[in-house]
Amino acid sequence: MKQTLYLAWRYLAFHRLKTFILLTSITLILYLPVGLRVLVNQSSQQLTRRADATPLVVGSKGSPLELVLNTLYFRSDFPEPMRYSEAQKVRDSGLARIVPMYVRYHSRGHPIVGTSVDYFDRRELAVQTGRLFTFVGECVLGARVAEALGVHVGDAVISSPENLFDLAGEYPLKMTIVGILAQADSPDDDAIFVDIKTTWIIEGIGHGHQDVADGEAAGAVLSRDGNRVVANASIVKYNEITEDNLDEFHFHGDLSDYPITAVVAFPPDQKSSALLQGRYENADERAQIARPSEVMAELLDTILTIESFVLAGAVIVGIATLASASLVFMLSLRLRRREMETLFKIGGSRANVGALMASEMVFVLVTGIVLAAGLTFLTSQFGAALVRALIRM
Amino acid sequence: MRLALLMMAALMAACGSSEEVADVAPSERAKAPLRVYTVSYPLAYFAERIGGAAVDVTFPAPAEIDPASWRPGAETIEAYQKADLILLNGATYAKWVERVSLPASTLVDTSESFQDDYIIIEDAVVHSHGPEGEHSHGQTAVTTWLDPRQAVTQARAIQGALLAARPEQGTDFEEGLAALEKDLEALDARMEEALGSDAPFVASHPVYQYLARRYGLDLHAVDFDGDAWHDLEHLLEDHPAKVMLWKLDPPADTASRLRDMGLEIVIFDPCANRPAAGDYLSVMEENMARLQSALSR
Repeated sequence: MKQTLYLAWRYLAFHRLKTFILLTSITLILYLPVGLRVLVNQSSQQLTRRADATPLVVGSKGSPLELVLNTLYFRSDFPEPMRYSEAQKVRDSGLARIVPMYVRYHSRGHPIVGTSVDYFDRRELAVQTGRLFTFVGECVLGARVAEALGVHVGDAVISSPENLFDLAGEYPLKMTIVGILAQADSPDDDAIFVDIKTTWIIEGIGHGHQDVADGEAAGAVLSRDGNRVVANASIVKYNEITEDNLDEFHFHGDLSDYPITAVVAFPPDQKSSALLQGRYENADERAQIARPSEVMAELLDTILTIESFVLAGAVIVGIATLASASLVFMLSLRLRRREMETLFKIGGSRANVGALMASEMVFVLVTGIVLAAGLTFLTSQFGAALVRALIRM
Repeated sequence: MRLALLMMAALMAACGSSEEVADVAPSERAKAPLRVYTVSYPLAYFAERIGGAAVDVTFPAPAEIDPASWRPGAETIEAYQKADLILLNGATYAKWVERVSLPASTLVDTSESFQDDYIIIEDAVVHSHGPEGEHSHGQTAVTTWLDPRQAVTQARAIQGALLAARPEQGTDFEEGLAALEKDLEALDARMEEALGSDAPFVASHPVYQYLARRYGLDLHAVDFDGDAWHDLEHLLEDHPAKVMLWKLDPPADTASRLRDMGLEIVIFDPCANRPAAGDYLSVMEENMARLQSALSR
């Protein structure tokens, strides 16, 4: 037997190219469907993990997928905003604790997430250096943002204007970095977090400017009639919030009317969750409530449908490959007829010759299976990182 | 066989990574006393009376500071952020709240239910400088608790928030609120009786609006944080007050000049900060006694 295996090995080693092509074909055809399945599983886990940790999201009526992608992954278009009073309504219902979200602006390509400090507790995010924001104008960076921008606690980032040609629109706000989060392997790593009021300042509906009653602002005052002062646009507006000008920042009107993109609701139990969802059943309601786990499950169903087509394709290609491999072996046997006759003539039995041919085939098949298993193992180990990288792209 | 096992192991490893996905919900806080932070002393007093041992109330403003104009530092705000409940006075009191980051779920605006009754300060500067139109900064009277009936409403809001946070201790909170309500209503009745006067008053600071409205006091205020002598003399021409309310003892030269103008100084402490001795009720009783004494002369 040992001699038979030796002869089979020598044959395969001599016909390197043919052996390599056969091995590659068999390895890939075994690995593709299994590896794809593993990758899809890991993608699903990455996507549903965050959705499962987010019980309910309230937002303006529209696409639930857009709402969930914006709120959870800070992706997709900016959804239709709703009033902050919607967050107060959910809070006052006593059915859930809330985290308001306003995800609209960016800084050098990174999303600026306006929220409250509860967010970090809910997402179990830890501060690596510094602290969480306490005043408006402060920000906390995700680990990858800090790394990509090469900034540290004490540095600053500047919000990017939405429209360069809107001269009367919002001004860039310089925000002081007070903390950097530990790596969380989630979209939080790529975000810049600020208090929701800071995003309203970026939007220009909250701002700081010279005191119009102050002598320094006299040049900007157009008219003064008793307590009524009209100033022109030359009044100094602050584009950075500092210890000295913090008290000059203010918000006009009722904060309840201010915009947010979503409210993440955390009901304490199933009953509260059901009651809260029931409140948004009314067709006249201007807001919608979405269960991120369901929205993402629907998205994954679509992905799985595509995956099943890919798998079917892989199986057909596999059958074709195996048929080709069989043909290669059969043609090879025909080409090796003289070699086999020689083996018979020098005393080799029919069984020995058959065993030699079979061991060549088994050797190729087994090696292919081992390589496919190795690739699957590597995919299972590093697939999650690959998926995260793909999700980030 | 070994190969088959290896394949299985590879697949299990892949699928195994999917098992470690369940996010752990934020851990429930231990059933220690509720950590309650407030922005004024009266709210702290009400919370202590209602919550008793079930609450750990903190009002972190330094004793010598007027909490209305105080701005806490980052460390103090971090302490606020960790509280289970943050009691706000509303009515634009403690403007710093607008400029800091506090968890939305823990904020309780204790005067929200009577916000339509806030007193609008008519002489606030209104200005415009852009497309958003006219606006003013800080335009309502803030010392809501000087009207004991409003104080009762605020106390009820506190009880509601405590009850929502610790439903199992609802009976204790109800008992605490009932006792506090009784004391506040008794204070209100005594003040109504004591302050029933048509006499004109002046005040050194615009902080007594709710007190004046509740008891029908004919009270006008100047602002002694600035140069108010001219305003005061002008005011007294049409408003011949004999009594002037002060939050604290005025400087000696100011007191002397006021006496020369025929004004008797009465200290009426709004009790926004924790008193050196006594509590909210005792301070109000002392205020009332001093005012009653001045009126009787």
